[in-house]
Amino acid sequence: MIIEWWILIVAYTLATSVLFLIPKGKYRLAIVAFLFNQAITFLVGLLVVDLGMIEYPVRLFDSINRTSFTFEYFIFPIICAAFNVWYPNGSNRFIQLGYYVSYCSFMTIIEGLLERNTELIKYTHWEWYYTWITLFLSFFFVRIICVWYFSEKKLTS
Amino acid sequence: MQMDYFILIAMWIIGIIGFIVFIPRKEKRKGILVFMIFQAIIWLCDMFSFSNNLLSAPVRFFPKATDLTVTINYLFYPMLFSLYYVHMKANGSLKYRITYFLIWVSSVTLFDMLIERHTNLLEYDRITSFGMWVYNGFIFFMSQMCCSWFYRGRK
Repeated sequence: MIIEWWILIVAYTLATSVLFLIPKGKYRLAIVAFLFNQAITFLVGLLVVDLGMIEYPVRLFDSINRTSFTFEYFIFPIICAAFNVWYPNGSNRFIQLGYYVSYCSFMTIIEGLLERNTELIKYTHWEWYYTWITLFLSFFFVRIICVWYFSEKKLTS
Repeated sequence: MQMDYFILIAMWIIGIIGFIVFIPRKEKRKGILVFMIFQAIIWLCDMFSFSNNLLSAPVRFFPKATDLTVTINYLFYPMLFSLYYVHMKANGSLKYRITYFLIWVSSVTLFDMLIERHTNLLEYDRITSFGMWVYNGFIFFMSQMCCSWFYRGRK
């Protein structure tokens, strides 16, 4: 039980430190990616828990909320902000696809490890590749929205 | 009970249509961003207020996943805030800004109280009506600060 709370604290610390690495000129892009990701993840997260596909036994605000506040409100939006800030815009399609694949695979592996070894997340009717696919779609949608959002001005990423 | 769900569905429809109709085309991007800033703030504030039993939402969508009221605080109030922010005169005087702010916050609170009194969508537990007014004012104010920071140096 204790180890789960330490993991949460480490996750918050690491995610917050990523914020300080974002270059000043890309604050707006980071914020837009963060917020759009939050909005999407919040709804999908609710749906998935409501359908009984995933459980989060150890979580913040556990008396009123059965979804993972930490992941949906903070961790994933920050990763998504980083994803957009350092997106390899000028590179060819293979590198862009590789960029997507590495983010999704890395996160899926971490989630799989947490699922197997801790009480932070339990797959009840869920598979690891659902995670991979939903992550990919989230990154993709947020990327499209960010490109649209900054399309009038020049997208600086 | 059935009436409550009817109101929730009406809020989704009015919320979405209201956003499309009352946010001018030129301001769509701003409208959406402001909507999401408010959402992020009210989501966090509600986590604290719901877990401290200030208020509760007996009838809601996703009842198994959360005790928060997704429809009202995730969709409807952010939409109202978006209207508030987009239609505010950018270079209005301080007096105008304060009046505009107070009218909006009071109207939203009045609406909130009506829902509380006549439906099962919201229940005030430890919070009073005045407390709710302060709470809404706080969320509006914080959101406005964040939006102004985001749009600082832009038209």
